[in-house]
Order: sequence, then C-alpha cells, then structure tokens
Amino acid sequence: MRNTIAIMQRELLSLFCSPIGYIVISGFLLITGVIVLMTKSFSPGQPATLAAFFYLTPFVLTIIVPAITMRAISDEYRSGTIETLMTAPVSDAQLVVGKFLASLVFYVIMIAATLIYPILISMFGRADWGAAASSYVGLLLMGATFIAFGVMASSLTRNQVVAWIAGAVPLLLLAWLAYYMIPQVSGALRTVFQEVNVMGRFEAMTKGAISLSSAVFFVGGAVLFLFIATKIVESKRWR
Amino acid sequence: MIEVRNLSKYYGSRCAVDKISFSVAEGEIVGFLGPNGAGKTTTIRVLTCFHPADDGQASVAGHDVFQKSMDVRKHVGYLPESVPLYPEMRVREYLQFRGKIRGLGRAERDAAIGRVTQRCWLSEVIDRPIGQLSKGYRQRVGLADALIHNPKVLILDEPTVGLDPGQVRETRSLIRELAQDHTVMLSSHILPEVEATCKRIIIINRGRIVASGTTAELRERVAGDHNTLAEIRGPKDGVEAGLRAITGVTDVRSEQRDGWLRVSIATRNDVREAVFQAAMKNGWSIRELRREGASLEDFFVKIVASAAAQATE
Repeated sequence: MRNTIAIMQRELLSLFCSPIGYIVISGFLLITGVIVLMTKSFSPGQPATLAAFFYLTPFVLTIIVPAITMRAISDEYRSGTIETLMTAPVSDAQLVVGKFLASLVFYVIMIAATLIYPILISMFGRADWGAAASSYVGLLLMGATFIAFGVMASSLTRNQVVAWIAGAVPLLLLAWLAYYMIPQVSGALRTVFQEVNVMGRFEAMTKGAISLSSAVFFVGGAVLFLFIATKIVESKRWR
Repeated sequence: MIEVRNLSKYYGSRCAVDKISFSVAEGEIVGFLGPNGAGKTTTIRVLTCFHPADDGQASVAGHDVFQKSMDVRKHVGYLPESVPLYPEMRVREYLQFRGKIRGLGRAERDAAIGRVTQRCWLSEVIDRPIGQLSKGYRQRVGLADALIHNPKVLILDEPTVGLDPGQVRETRSLIRELAQDHTVMLSSHILPEVEATCKRIIIINRGRIVASGTTAELRERVAGDHNTLAEIRGPKDGVEAGLRAITGVTDVRSEQRDGWLRVSIATRNDVREAVFQAAMKNGWSIRELRREGASLEDFFVKIVASAAAQATE
C-alpha cells in the first residue's frame, strides 16, 4: 500500500511538473467550455440543464483521458527508470495501481473544474442538483474505466504517442460504436452491444439513474484493464 | 553473498549468457570485466531480478532471485549502467521517493538521505532538479539511491562510464570505501578500472567466464611471459653472453641506443640481483634495471582475442 501511494505521489508530481498536464487540463476545459457555449445551455428560455454538456463529454474524454495516461508507464520504459523501479521491492501490480490512482486524482481535479457550469446554471435557474450529482458519479465511474484502459495502453509501448493512439482509438470506438449500432442490429449482437454500451450507461446516469449493473460494469472494466496492464508489465521482463 | 550456478539467458535464439557459475563472498569487492556485449549487464539484470534467467540458479544475500525476488531486491542496491532518473524531480524528492519504496519510515528516511548525501557529496545540489545536473552528479544521485537502504550487496553496472578523470578517481575511492561495509560487485569493460578498485576479477566474454581470480593470481598466470629490462654500458657480445649465463634466463635481446645497450631479458623468475652482480663482476655500468610489470591489460586483450578466434573457427 505504501509503495502504491509513493508511486502515485511521484507520478502526480511529474504530471504537474510537465507541461502536458496543463495542456490536457486547459484543452479539456476549452473544449467543454465551447460545448457549453455552442449548445446554448445558457440561453434564455432554455431549461436549466447541462444535458448537452454531459452528452458530448464522453467523446471528449475518450481523447483527453489517454492523453493523461499516455506517459504513465511508457515514460518509465523510455527513460529506463522501469529498471530502478522493478529492481526495488515494488510489485508490478503496485506500479500499475499507483499509476492508475495518480491519473485518477488528476482526472478528478480536471473534472472538478467543470463544476463551475452547474454552479453558474443554478444562478440563473433552478438546477437539478440530483441529476448533476449522479452525472458526476457517472463521470467518475466512466473515467476510472477509461483511465485503466489508458494505463493499459501505456504499458504496451515506450512511445507516448503510440500509447495515446492505442488508448484513444479503441475508447472512441467503444463510446460511439455500441451506442449507434444498437438500433441497427438485432439478436445476440444487440444484447452484446447493449451490455457494452458505455454511452448508454452514462446517459442513464445523467438522468439520475445509477444502476448497480452500470457501476459493476465500469468498476469491473477498470479492474480488468488494470489486471491486463499488470500482466503486460510482467511480460515485458521476459522479452 | 552472491551465488550463481549454470546461469543461462537467451534473447530470442541469441545466447547472451551461457551457463556461467561464480560466487562472491561477503565483504568482497569483485570486478566483472568483459568487452561490450559480453553478457555483463545481462548477468547483473538477472541478479537484480530485472530479467528472469532461462536456466540455472542464482541467489543473492541467501535468497533465490527467482523464488524470493522481493527479498533479494530488499538487500540489493543497484546502479544501472544508464543511471535512469526522473529529470523533473529534485534530488531530495527523488531520494525521498526511493526511500519510501524501500520501506523506510519518515525518520529513517531523513537520516538515510543525510547519510547518502554526505557520502556521495550531494549536499550542494540536493534541492536542484535532476534534469539540470551534470553527468557526474547524476551518477552520484544514482549511487546515493543504491545506498539509501544500506543494502548488504551493492551491484554497480559501469559506475564510472562517462565521467571525467577527476570524477572517475573520486568514484573509485568512494567504491573502495563502500566495500568496507557492503559486498560490492561492479562491472566494467576497462581493465585499469577494475584493477584499481577490485580485489578479485571475473573476466567474461561472449557469455562465458574465461578467467577469474585475484589480481595477483591473474598476474601470476601472465608472469611466464614477462621481461626484465636493463640499460647497460658494455660490449654487446660480452653483455649478452654474460646475461645468458644467469640461471633462469631464457632469452636475451639487446639493441644499441645512444651509447647504452638496451637489453630485454626473458625470464621466469626475478633476475635483477643476478644482473647487478654480473655487471659488478664485469665492470659494466647500469642506469636502469626493472622488471616489466606483467600487464593484465595484455592478458585481458589476449583472452578476449583468443576467445573471439575460437568462436570464428
């Protein structure tokens, strides 16, 4: 546990020391800001809701989250510091979980900055705080899965750009594909798409419905990806 | 402290280390010598639990590196060849982090950082970002990191590579100092480096150990070929004949140089006194008389070359 926290702290220090952290945060806030502005969420006569913001944010996150995690493990490979880590009494799982937690903390800070929108909305009308709260729980759960996936992508390669693309492209497909494919298909395939429908599950949460199955889906997904990442790090020793 | 039995490691089909065996006793300081690509780093990476071996056994500080990897890692301080560090961190932050993952508590950690910064002369740069440090300082930070948990075994991969001559000398004396409290194994491809710091040398080439022993033992092995050099003023034929008469002398060659005869005497034992006696008896003058130091360098080059020749045959 102490090792995991030590690795998390070090990773956070690096994230906030490098320009990439600030670029990612400002990029995210800029894009979401433009979304809020363009979808006329603040126009007079409109309902006081951030539905449009919450509808588009998952797509933004599929690009932004892998940018947070891309350096997590790949940079350790590139700089060779993986050697000093793996020869210290740190297990592969502690390394992966520490990296995951650091990215999660960073993500929470980034998401917390968007709280300004519901606060602003509430100044102009009666905001639905219940829906907002469940939306943020949804962002947290979905974000955890995305981060775990990004950490896994980062464990594959020593190249950060490759890690970013390997994280973003499958996540983008995951977020879009199932959501838009469900009406197109039927039978078993439809059931599969309904189960892995990241967007649909998140959409339900923005409406205030946090189901156990969705929570298990996101948390389970995160655990699965972290487990795979641990195995990848382990296998790198054998190359 | 370190026991290696028939250790082998392959990268794909290429054999990097081929059934090597050696051991290092507690308190020893051993040099692992070999040309680039000989398998030094591979062996070290197996011993430090970074890479698993394909065959054979290895144990460090009494723990098997395959089965008890965590126990081995606790007792080993390791300086990798490239000295990987986090450039964005300050030296103190880095050492704090390394202390934490070594399981040191806050008070222990502060004490350890004080100890290693003093030992590795880091106090001037302790609050500077590592990325701004020179190669020499980075090397010291790596060494400080390897020492922070006061390990039983210290494994240093090419500890002086890329340093300037002053830093090389400092690092060598530091390593010698460290050998008083730790078992040290260091690798190098430079013989004088190993000769200057180590009591015992293991020479490795193409994944195999080709020679090992103390520096004196290895010298003994080359002693057969060594020479005594003398500069004598006297008649060429007379001097040569007189020297050949000395017991133990196998060959005498001489050449005239600015009025003096430069004589090279091939011998198995020390004939310096006998040469002096002969000169006294015959009335020759001597201005130089020395035993040509049996060069380990030649020995090393020869071993490596002969192994290479065998491999190509």
